[in-house]
Amino acid sequence: MKSYEYHKPKTIEEAISLMGSLEDAKFIAGGTDVMVLIKQKKISSKCMVSLRNIDGLAYIDTQNGLRIGSGTTHNTIDENGHIKRYYSALTDATSRLGSKQIRNVATIGGNICNAAPSADTACPLLALDAKAVIVGQNGSKTTSLDEFFLGPGKTILSKEELLKEFVMPLYGENTGSAYIKHTRRNAMDLPILGVATRITVSLPDENISRCKDMFCTIDSISNILERLKDEGVKCEDVMIAMGVVAPRPMRAKNAESVMKGKIVSSELFEEIGNIAAGEAQPRDSIRGEAWYRTEMIKVLVKRALIKSIDRVIRPDEAFYPERLW
Amino acid sequence: MDNFTIVGQKIPKIDAPVKATGDALYIQDIKVSGMLHGKILYSKYPHARILKLDTSKAETLPGVRAVVTAADMPPNFRIGVMKDNPPLKSGKTKSIRDEIAAVAAISTEVAEEALSLIEVEYEELPGIFDPIEAMQEGATLIHEEVKSNILKMPWKLVCGDVETAKKDSAHIVEDTFSTQWVTHCCMGTSGCIAQLDASNNLTLYSNTQIPSLAQNDFIEALNAFGYKNRRVRIIQSVIGGGFGSKLDTYAYEYIAILLAIKTRKPVKIIFSREEEFFATSPRQCTITKISQGCDKEGRLTFREIEMILDNGAYTSWGATTPSVMMLPISSLYKVPNIKYVAKCVYTNNTYCQAMRGYGNPQATFAIESSLDQLAEKAGIDPLEFRIRNSNEPGEITPQRFKITSCGMKECIDEVAKRLAWKTKKEHKGNRGVGIASLIHVGGGARVYKSDGCGTIIKMDDFGKVDVFTGASDIGQGSDTVIAQIVAEVLGIPIEDVNVVNNDTDICPWDVGVHASRTTFVAGNAALGAAKKIREQILEAAGKLLEEEPSFLDIKNSIIYSTKDKEKSTPLGKALRKIHYTLGGKMLMAEYFYDPANENFDREFKGNLSVSYAYGAHGVEVEVDKETGQVKILNYIAAHDVGKPINPLLLEGQIYGGGLQGIGYALGEKMIYKNGRLMNGNFLDYKMPTVKDVPPVQAVIVETDEKDGPFGAKGIGEPGLVPTAPAIANAIYDAVGVRIKDLPITPEKILKALKEKQGRT
Repeated sequence: MKSYEYHKPKTIEEAISLMGSLEDAKFIAGGTDVMVLIKQKKISSKCMVSLRNIDGLAYIDTQNGLRIGSGTTHNTIDENGHIKRYYSALTDATSRLGSKQIRNVATIGGNICNAAPSADTACPLLALDAKAVIVGQNGSKTTSLDEFFLGPGKTILSKEELLKEFVMPLYGENTGSAYIKHTRRNAMDLPILGVATRITVSLPDENISRCKDMFCTIDSISNILERLKDEGVKCEDVMIAMGVVAPRPMRAKNAESVMKGKIVSSELFEEIGNIAAGEAQPRDSIRGEAWYRTEMIKVLVKRALIKSIDRVIRPDEAFYPERLW
Repeated sequence: MDNFTIVGQKIPKIDAPVKATGDALYIQDIKVSGMLHGKILYSKYPHARILKLDTSKAETLPGVRAVVTAADMPPNFRIGVMKDNPPLKSGKTKSIRDEIAAVAAISTEVAEEALSLIEVEYEELPGIFDPIEAMQEGATLIHEEVKSNILKMPWKLVCGDVETAKKDSAHIVEDTFSTQWVTHCCMGTSGCIAQLDASNNLTLYSNTQIPSLAQNDFIEALNAFGYKNRRVRIIQSVIGGGFGSKLDTYAYEYIAILLAIKTRKPVKIIFSREEEFFATSPRQCTITKISQGCDKEGRLTFREIEMILDNGAYTSWGATTPSVMMLPISSLYKVPNIKYVAKCVYTNNTYCQAMRGYGNPQATFAIESSLDQLAEKAGIDPLEFRIRNSNEPGEITPQRFKITSCGMKECIDEVAKRLAWKTKKEHKGNRGVGIASLIHVGGGARVYKSDGCGTIIKMDDFGKVDVFTGASDIGQGSDTVIAQIVAEVLGIPIEDVNVVNNDTDICPWDVGVHASRTTFVAGNAALGAAKKIREQILEAAGKLLEEEPSFLDIKNSIIYSTKDKEKSTPLGKALRKIHYTLGGKMLMAEYFYDPANENFDREFKGNLSVSYAYGAHGVEVEVDKETGQVKILNYIAAHDVGKPINPLLLEGQIYGGGLQGIGYALGEKMIYKNGRLMNGNFLDYKMPTVKDVPPVQAVIVETDEKDGPFGAKGIGEPGLVPTAPAIANAIYDAVGVRIKDLPITPEKILKALKEKQGRT
């Protein structure tokens, strides 16, 4: 392994100015991606600037929405009950990223800045409409996460910029979200495909308990959807994000706009799945074939949406009997 | 000796503490004074002509002590079963793992940098990566000096008359099944340190699982280097898993020896994980055409198999796996008529090696999948069909195996009961059950001229004992089992037994860790030696206590008379008296056990093993019809093991084998594309993780094996033999699609489901 200088700045400002002054330097946070790349000789920077000793990077602030510092580890997020309840899709991702050992050191900022198409937290953050706060030498700016990714391993960050935090809106009781990581293994795996959805529904109050009942059965998804339709459950807002189906994590915007404002139904879900699949450009790779990924978008978009609705209707079932979807 | 206190107990592995605390010294941890580090340069292409090889820049890099190429190897020196593998290649490279050059340097970093300075010019040649293409007439020859890509290893077994049996069969099925390359995934990667003394005797620190045979190979190598009649000593480190991968000697070891000769320094070569993936030899992949038939009552009439094995570019033990495949082919269930032909074919792919089961899993996948098809055709429940054809004690199979103990029916019964077979068969909802059985050698296997193992036992002055055994512990727990046997016979606590098993200068000969033979063969050797020394102890103690030795016994390290309670002495005290007296002696005993099994004759017939292990696995799965994913809901692994010496380790072997089998069935595959490994890492090579372990019930079915140590039979390999077909059969039961090509991925299931839907 190549040797390198290791810098340990104490503040964000120091870190940014180090990046400005050092030649051939790279940020390192948890190191679970960077160290592997160094070992594989895909990175050979002379200097590493560690973000681990910076105080103001690891935090979760749940007042008025959600703010997560980029240096927060996946495990910290995973153990946060508020996130689990109101930003469930994120917990779905942090609970299945790598292994416990990796989650204990890997940071959410690192996961996003690494910009892999398969990044586990990218889909939930996109679906949860996260904004990225970027700090540079000339102060900070906020950008939507959708604009953050440029391609595999590429982001809008310049060398002297640092991703400080993610900011997400406050979501109410009528919003639920879910992330489905489709893998071959239950741990230490990248998704063949990842789908995150967030949906805000409106439903007549008097129908809630009936809706709850149907989710408690083990009926087929199409039957449940038919019942939801009968109860008049309507999609007020929706976001759908997909990973490993394009060079960067992406939103299925056409599918979203078709769904918005409609009463949910089996036909609608089929349609949404198909539209989302049409928006993706999956490739064949050793990790999965394109045709299979396309098929799985149709299935998983449906399942993630119904899981999201399930979480609206049965928030207290908060950690949901693992049904097949 | 009926009331055993140590044998039959669940005793944790005696080496567990040193492994858990990190104190165990693996080959990676071993350092020898003055040691250099070796690294190997591999071919850039799977098939290419080397036009130029210039090592001059590498040689001048500071810290480099030697750079070697084929020119430094003795001419015509070849390794492997067919002697077709020069440790360093020249002229033409035949696979992506071909060793071109190697460096010894003061550190691995310098050695790696030196490799990057070696200039090689290649002319890339079109390769052959498909054995069927390689078999065609006019195909490019992988080895130009031999006339065909088909190996001169004509595997053929004929018993009875298949053609007549076909005519007499009421039902016949025929299909083709294929299996993939999988690799052993040892936690400890391969490695060695080669050290020569001033007289050119070699000491090789190694994690081999065949110390005695490796010694033989390296003596040959020293001869080739011109060092005639030298000594070779193999010192084994703690071994981080073998599973067959360390059953041969490899180019890297000969390269380490060459570098040690060149530098006159000890040279260490340790494989990186990447090398472990692409430069070691995986399980042989197979294409199996199988046909089986039965009569109206569902009794098997014949089994006919033609098999093609991708041998890769060179030959190691992988090419001999058809010999073990013959075992299930001829003798899994009662089948009177057998025909089996196998061809191993050279390609430009990686070459293959032994791996747990030694061909048996590949053959059993085809046999047991096909058997389900036959049962369906005959309209008989697959479990009932198996019981009807089950092996039995006392049977002599068509290949002339003499079945002694056999608990196959009991194993199938256990599966039926614990899986609630009848109820589950009726239900559905995307769930299904499947079963598959196994036969394997359980009492050694005479594949070499000797199937023996030696043991020496030495008592100290304190009642403690050193046991020197030829048997290597590669993680399977043989040191614990041997210690239990010796402790039981001598009536001492297991803590008082020290097993030494890692040095050919000290330990007697053993053919190696293979064929699930260690408990049986090394166990019997230890038992024999322990009995001999017990006799010596009791005879000498008889004189001290003035008692007939036949009335003496030892328990808790006390020698006592069973007749007269007054007569007793602590074992240590007796040993000291025997030692510190005029004409005194230290007690020692040796025993060499070679089971009474037979080499195959020219027709590949003969009683290969003294006893045979049986088992049946049953599985319940749920298939997600939208994604093709399979979830194992319940897994029953019932094994006839004779009498268990250590049920804890035994269950460990069953769990471990089962999980390795599940990986084989559902996910593991070395993806080779045009001769290159595409997934040589644990991210993309989908070995199951701890989170993927389904509920597995290990069921021990006891039979009494008269020749086994304390009635035991082997269990090292059987755990993964029937796993894949049991799962494939369960998937078929669940959703009606049969996947005939391992691994059974969600993609294959989904595709098959869609095709099935399209048909109906």
